[in-house]
Amino acid sequence: MALAPDELLRSLAVALRQRIGPEVQEPFARTQAFMAAVILEKLAGQVANAAADDVAATAERAALVAELRAGAAGHATVLAAVDAVAADGGDAAWNGLVSALYAERDALGAPTFDRLLGRVRTALRARLDRALAYAS
Amino acid sequence: MSAPPVSEDQIRACLAERFDAPGLRLRGVERIAVGWSHETWLFDAVWADAGGEQVRPLCLRRDPGNALLRELSDLATQFRVLQCLDATAVPSPHPYFFEDDPTVLGAPFLVMEKVPGACPSPWGRDGRRFYEDAAARGVLPESFTDALIAIHTLDWRAAGLDFLGVPGGGNDFARREIAKWRRLMEATGAEPDPVLVDTLCWLDANAPSTPRLSLVHGAYRTGNFLVHDDRVSAVLDWETQVIGDPLYDVAYVLSELNREGTDLLSNLVERDAFFARYEAGTGLTIDEGVCRYYQVLYAARSAVFWMSASQLYASGENTDLRLARTAWSIPVVLDQAAKALGY
Repeated sequence: MALAPDELLRSLAVALRQRIGPEVQEPFARTQAFMAAVILEKLAGQVANAAADDVAATAERAALVAELRAGAAGHATVLAAVDAVAADGGDAAWNGLVSALYAERDALGAPTFDRLLGRVRTALRARLDRALAYAS
Repeated sequence: MSAPPVSEDQIRACLAERFDAPGLRLRGVERIAVGWSHETWLFDAVWADAGGEQVRPLCLRRDPGNALLRELSDLATQFRVLQCLDATAVPSPHPYFFEDDPTVLGAPFLVMEKVPGACPSPWGRDGRRFYEDAAARGVLPESFTDALIAIHTLDWRAAGLDFLGVPGGGNDFARREIAKWRRLMEATGAEPDPVLVDTLCWLDANAPSTPRLSLVHGAYRTGNFLVHDDRVSAVLDWETQVIGDPLYDVAYVLSELNREGTDLLSNLVERDAFFARYEAGTGLTIDEGVCRYYQVLYAARSAVFWMSASQLYASGENTDLRLARTAWSIPVVLDQAAKALGY
């Protein structure tokens, strides 16, 4: 039976850490072998949780978009940025939304700006927490 | 693009010409593998002349062509800074010469004095023990503070350091610093994490005024200076220096980033003692609110730094896997920034 991708990555990491790395005499190459093991372990965790992370991210994004469309009504620049996030959950769309909020700060007024940015930050916190699960 | 390798013999021949010493040889050559910045070689240049044997401890730094922070500080700037500091109270290596012509050693390089002292890494077990022991003896913590006082009380205009650029009034310093790191972020060509973009926007919107300008080292901590006889013998890593708010350095000293889990600032100095000595030595009052602002800026800087490092690997410019691994450090520093911003 074939190993799942994350299991294969972990087994490669173990091989580098326990069997290959210790046999490497040259210090820089040895460090590189151990560093490769560290990276493979992180990738293994990300691969194992990719589907669940994606489901969570999609649900959070949908909830955010619904709230922001209501909260930013009448502010075309912000709404366009919200639409971009609705269409694409990539960093560029999120950055467009954050930048649009700051650019429209005066037009939104302080209470609305704070409320909308706070809602975006709640979503960014969830994204960051998922990334922190593999970070160090 | 990376520079071609350089041999000891090439270095020897170059120095023999520079010092007009045909019989010059290198003794005790070490190539330091710390950091991802410039190649660093340490050695003694030894030759004989009418006065007998001459021994000159030297440090050669060469641009490898694919180092971090190249967009911020080149060797020509570093050399000029060292020249400006040479006759001042700031402990720093004496600069000998800078060569911009890449045909000489394959890449630009500078040669400076090899100052006596050790530079233990604060991140490793041995380094942590070194600084803990030094903290207990009490001499190095005072010297650490005194060297920072020397940097911040330096007459930087008289020293010729205004070539670094002088901020205007108000919050111009902070805005310039944010713009500088934003440019480096954009130079990576990678899309930043939105937490970083939020942080930079927040920094822009909340930039503090700078009532007093000084020379700012920009990364003043253990690991960035040499220690000899329990004292700072030379402040190193003149790569992020700027004319700006001295509290920018103080914020870094106060930061959790450099404490290695101890209560000591920079894993070395007791907080109250630092405040008392620094404020007495500079005449400044440490505004902790402003320092907290600069700590958010340092978190953003760190994120940009790790972005730059991981992109160096991703682009194929540098194949060191330690650079690839830094991509997983970005969320850690962004977590600090997000918490500081309240989320």
